[in-house]
Amino acid sequence: MVMLRRSQWDILMLATLVVGIGLIVLSRVRPDQPVSLAEPGAASVATVPAPREGHPAPDFTLLDLTGQPVQLADLRGQVILINIWATWCPPCRAEMPMIQASYEEYRDQGFTVLAVNSREEAATVAGYMDASGLTFPALLDRDGTVSNVYQARVMPSSFFVDRAGVIRAVYRGPLARSVIAGTVEQLLAEAP
Amino acid sequence: MYPLIPLGPLNLSSGGLLLLLGIMVGMFLSERIARQRGGAELADQVSSLTLPVLAGALVGGRLWYGLFNWDLYGRNPGLFVALRVADLAWAGALIGGMASVWLWCRWRRCDLAPSADVAALTLPLVQAIASLGLLLSGEAFGLPTALPWGIPLFGTIRHPTQIYLMLAALISYGILQLLARRSLAPGALFAAYLWLQGLTMLLLEPLRGDALLTVFGLRIAQIVGLGLMLGAMRWGRKKIQLHPDYMR
Repeated sequence: MVMLRRSQWDILMLATLVVGIGLIVLSRVRPDQPVSLAEPGAASVATVPAPREGHPAPDFTLLDLTGQPVQLADLRGQVILINIWATWCPPCRAEMPMIQASYEEYRDQGFTVLAVNSREEAATVAGYMDASGLTFPALLDRDGTVSNVYQARVMPSSFFVDRAGVIRAVYRGPLARSVIAGTVEQLLAEAP
Repeated sequence: MYPLIPLGPLNLSSGGLLLLLGIMVGMFLSERIARQRGGAELADQVSSLTLPVLAGALVGGRLWYGLFNWDLYGRNPGLFVALRVADLAWAGALIGGMASVWLWCRWRRCDLAPSADVAALTLPLVQAIASLGLLLSGEAFGLPTALPWGIPLFGTIRHPTQIYLMLAALISYGILQLLARRSLAPGALFAAYLWLQGLTMLLLEPLRGDALLTVFGLRIAQIVGLGLMLGAMRWGRKKIQLHPDYMR
């Protein structure tokens, strides 16, 4: 190994510092101004559909358990919780009763749930929904297209869509009851 | 992407399984390397340090992940102790593991440097195995890319960050193996390992699509990486002054 004198060593460290900071600053993630939940009614800046806060929710059409197609865009004007889940996923099962409770509480005020099941049989899903007493619409994402578009690498993944069709909150991982209630109430309170 | 391995009624997470395999290989390997480098005494010391390292890495990895995902973890503090292998951050695990061993050795009054060198020769292989787990489970996924070696994941062609990480780990392993043949000051291999880790974080983190962020959208792992590089270099500079023969 080449011997470095103390001064050369200092120069090398300084160069590392400068190049490193430059790289860090250049490769930082530029915030794309997501709509903050704290400011109801703030205009959405982003126009490209993406599974992120502040972006319009990517549209999809899936069959429900009765074989009827359900399109996200048709539900515009309602507050929607899109929950991507599977029956084999324990945290998904754990949050289902809380979703059911909020569905019963707020559905009359214009709130609905789309429980997008990832890659399972209709019979499996229907059996689970019946056995657990869940009454909100479950949709069948048989080939995982919607899970992919929504980048649901963590199950459950939850997306709160406001009345204008914009995603306002994204949660990867299980939801707390207070989070569901707080978010839904806030979004319902906004002018349609 | 194969996040789950069905085994009868169990769905095992491939990421967790490979991480476990990596840790087991690491424990076996570190003891062998320790025996070669320092005989039974060093082997005993290394195996007595395994538990503090793993405990520190687990706590550090989860704390780090939770603190930088505060919007989720702040509302659900129970997640800090949830059994989810995916929610660990490598930077936190590395810092936690080092901190815990340092404290352990202060308490037990052991000489850390020879053990740290054993860790430097072991960890890159553990990381290479764990990267394979990341690839299977789709964790640490990359940003979308148009490069010909992109891999399809979550509906887009993305940088195969997991493969980059594996290559970086294997290259680090090779470099450290070469360095291990020289007679260096105790601790020099670990300093070199930290430098290589820092470089990996600094260069590969920008290609990840799930990087943990801090103020101004800066990626926290890059800042840690630069810190590791400078810390390792500062150590080298001091050692060279004290013992000019060591780095020849």
